[in-house]
Amino acid sequence: MRRSYLGEFEELVLLTVAVLGEGAYGVAITDELDRQTGRSVSISAVHAALHRLEEKGMLSSRMGESTAERGGRRKRLFTVTALGSRTLHDIRSMRDQLWHSIAPNSLPAISL
Amino acid sequence: MKPIQPNRPAEPPRWANRLLEWFCAPHLLEEVQGDLHERFERNTRQAGQRQARRQYVREVISFLRPFAIKRKPSQYPSTPLFRPAMLENYFKIAFRNLSRNKAYSGINIIGLSIGLAAAMLIMLYTKDEVSYDRFHTNNPNIYRIVSKEYGTGGSLEGKNPYTGHFQGPKFSAGIPEIQRFVRYQANRVDMKQGTDIQSQEVFFTDPDFFQIFSLPLLNGNPKTALREPKSVVISEETAEKQFGTTNALGKVIFLKEKGQFEPYTVTGVAHKSPQNSSIKFDVLLPLIIPKEELANNSNWFSFFQNTFVLLTPQANVRSVEAKMNRIYQADAKEGMKEMADKYGFKNRTDYSLQPFTDMHLSKDFPASNGLVDESNPMFSYILTGIALFILVIACINFVNLTVARSLKRAKEIGVRKVVGGGRSQLTIQFLGESFILCFIAFIAAILIVYVVLPTFNQLSNKSLALSYLFDAQLVIGYLILFVVTGLLAGFYPAMVLSGYNPVQTLYSRFNLSSKNYLQKSLVVLQFSLASFLIVITLTIYSQFNYLTTKSLGYDDKNLVMINKSPMKRSDFRHLKDELMKSPSIADVSPKNGGFWATIAKVNNGEKQLNFAYETVDETYLPLFKIPILKGRNFSASFPSDSTNSVLVNESFVKDAGWKNPIGQIVDFSYDAPEKYTVIGVVKDYHFAPLNQAIKSQLFTMKPKNDYGRFFVKIKPNTETESLQYIEKTFKRLFPISPYAYSFLDQDNLKKYESEAKWKQIMLFGAILTIFISCIGLFGLATLSAERRNKEIGIRKVLGASVSSIVQLLSSDFLKLVGVSFLFAFPAAYYATDQWLQGYAYRIDVSVWMFVGTAILAILIAFFTVSFQSIRAALANPVKSLKSE
Repeated sequence: MRRSYLGEFEELVLLTVAVLGEGAYGVAITDELDRQTGRSVSISAVHAALHRLEEKGMLSSRMGESTAERGGRRKRLFTVTALGSRTLHDIRSMRDQLWHSIAPNSLPAISL
Repeated sequence: MKPIQPNRPAEPPRWANRLLEWFCAPHLLEEVQGDLHERFERNTRQAGQRQARRQYVREVISFLRPFAIKRKPSQYPSTPLFRPAMLENYFKIAFRNLSRNKAYSGINIIGLSIGLAAAMLIMLYTKDEVSYDRFHTNNPNIYRIVSKEYGTGGSLEGKNPYTGHFQGPKFSAGIPEIQRFVRYQANRVDMKQGTDIQSQEVFFTDPDFFQIFSLPLLNGNPKTALREPKSVVISEETAEKQFGTTNALGKVIFLKEKGQFEPYTVTGVAHKSPQNSSIKFDVLLPLIIPKEELANNSNWFSFFQNTFVLLTPQANVRSVEAKMNRIYQADAKEGMKEMADKYGFKNRTDYSLQPFTDMHLSKDFPASNGLVDESNPMFSYILTGIALFILVIACINFVNLTVARSLKRAKEIGVRKVVGGGRSQLTIQFLGESFILCFIAFIAAILIVYVVLPTFNQLSNKSLALSYLFDAQLVIGYLILFVVTGLLAGFYPAMVLSGYNPVQTLYSRFNLSSKNYLQKSLVVLQFSLASFLIVITLTIYSQFNYLTTKSLGYDDKNLVMINKSPMKRSDFRHLKDELMKSPSIADVSPKNGGFWATIAKVNNGEKQLNFAYETVDETYLPLFKIPILKGRNFSASFPSDSTNSVLVNESFVKDAGWKNPIGQIVDFSYDAPEKYTVIGVVKDYHFAPLNQAIKSQLFTMKPKNDYGRFFVKIKPNTETESLQYIEKTFKRLFPISPYAYSFLDQDNLKKYESEAKWKQIMLFGAILTIFISCIGLFGLATLSAERRNKEIGIRKVLGASVSSIVQLLSSDFLKLVGVSFLFAFPAAYYATDQWLQGYAYRIDVSVWMFVGTAILAILIAFFTVSFQSIRAALANPVKSLKSE
């Protein structure tokens, strides 16, 4: 099966959209990424990634409500599409498969 | 958490917001800006406004990425800019519009074609000016030797474009970089033509002449043509005149030399010199310098001819100049000492090289003394300025009329937009229309140039032919001119017209909403230019009038001047006796030929004066009615006058600083003791043109000085018989001398020929600018009267008088003309003042000149506008009001 390639950052954004569920839009995604990964993520990078993911068909979007703090502007709310969901699952199963293939004790031990 | 201040909500930096709105694609803007604002709000609460604003700017800038900038493709199919059917339609509409509004099209075409024609003529002129002497293949290695003279204090005392006999050969011998040199000296000799004798301008030059200059020979060998002493090279024209053929090799012409005619063999016939050549000759002779002249070291200090050198292509001009000066310092030592001892002349001369091609337009070292067509770059600048004025005014007409008339086309624009015409298509349509108009004007302009070229040649002292128009550079220039004019005229209207809102235009509520400052300021600009030119023209006219009517301090009426050089005392006495036999001749008086100037010492040798040196006899001053203020005139009853006495003018007395001039001594002793006593003071009179102040002048009767011309005072209204008598007598007495006469008052007028030319050129310029401005104003007045048709009807129905309506319609435009004076007059004052500085005797810049211009401009504008406004005011209001 051919699937679109996902960059690491794109994968994180896609996962975050899934995490946030109904309220996934630019600022919320940025904050969530910030909180979960501890990296300082720029809003424009998030927007760019969202844009790309939507072009690849892994996200769909609709315009949401407007709020006063946004100067009456509406948010764009994102949801993961079936393709997006499949891709995430594929990535996960491939990773799992790889984890399972690692012989015990072949990784240097680290204390978590 | 800081509370938000309710009365001052925090705002992100406005410029950053603008930037975002500008670059961000419209379909992304809402979400992106919303997100940024949301974050800004939060940052303000958490970190304060300053931090938040900074962060906002950073985030806006971080959005400068392709995904955010890239616009979404339109969901509608785009219409191509050019489609044959539409192009056809554009042309059809354009021609329909042109033919329906004949007045409007006429105004634009006339204006633009006059403007383009003026620009074409000036380009032709300027091209010719800068192309002078560029046709020589040895350029840029041909130079002229020139020099600057510095006083003992290091101040610049004079610039000398000429040289003597020495500079050419001596520099050339000492400097290997100088390949060849050629001296070029103008003179006049008498030449036999059949039985006729003519005074002919000839040029003496060195044999290398044709090796340096690319002036081809029709017949003859350019290398050897001027090698033999009695050889001569003549022009095609002279050959035709002398022999009736250009095949004249080996034939003989007779030139007068030391009193008798000598045969010269034709060794070459030259092509007609190109029009743009500073060297134009008819007769060219080899230059022969007597041995004693070559031995005389003081020849370093006499300057009378042009010397040109040809450098090797690798030569460094600076180093050649340095070598020239070294040679001069070494070789001229003896002469310098002599000059210092004898004349007290201690100035330092510094030689340099002037590129041959710079000569024609040079102000410092002009092309004169045998070189022709000396010109001033100022002429090119002024002419270019006038042409630009005219063209700009014509373009303004186009812009103003098109925008003002666009109301009528508003519906067309609306319909085009509604059925899918894009802005760019409309822009192209209107630009295209301006180009069509411009093209018609361009063709008309070529016709105008063809018709006026002879007049222009006469005005500008040129002989330009229409064929020069087809020069590649000029054709490119004209095409650029065409495109620039089309864009200049069409760009703004196209932008405005294509931007109309279709809903408004189709709803019949459309009006030019703004106060139309652009149209107003363009009219002001037009009339500023026009009134500027009127002031200049009036000034030139009054100055010219002043120059030609100012009393010169002597009577130049009924005075005939005849050159006879040289003329001995006995010859003159004989001639005078014969002439006085005629009853129509009042008196005859002799004078030296040409213009002499010399130096002498006064006040016991303390002071050295430079003055004009006139050799006359006792009849000269009475004949010219020049008054003597102190002392007495020369007189036959004092025989010693001729050897002992001189007269001086007032300026001389002032320069010498004399309180009591009579009896003062003027000391001419250089070679031999020579002292004269002043016996009288002559009232200053203008012996030079009026752009020079009256300088010192001294009159002598010294017998050693030959006469060179004589003046005949004839009785009024006896021109025919006296001239016939003078000619008959002259030819009888001096059969081998050329005869030519002139009237002194006409000669005096000729001194102001260049002013007369400028007067005409400025008059044409002023008339054209005024004319084009006025037809533009006429068009605007017509449109405004049309637009206010109903308003006028209602006013009339309610009882307005015709005069009040005329006033209403005219005053708007007249106000603009009034405002234009504010700009035109200071500029004109400055320009005229600068120009008049060049004249020692000049008119004052008077208020009346400006008042006159103002009245003239307002009157012209009023007549132009009132024609339309009166017509509109007289119209029957029923006609304009009956239909809606």
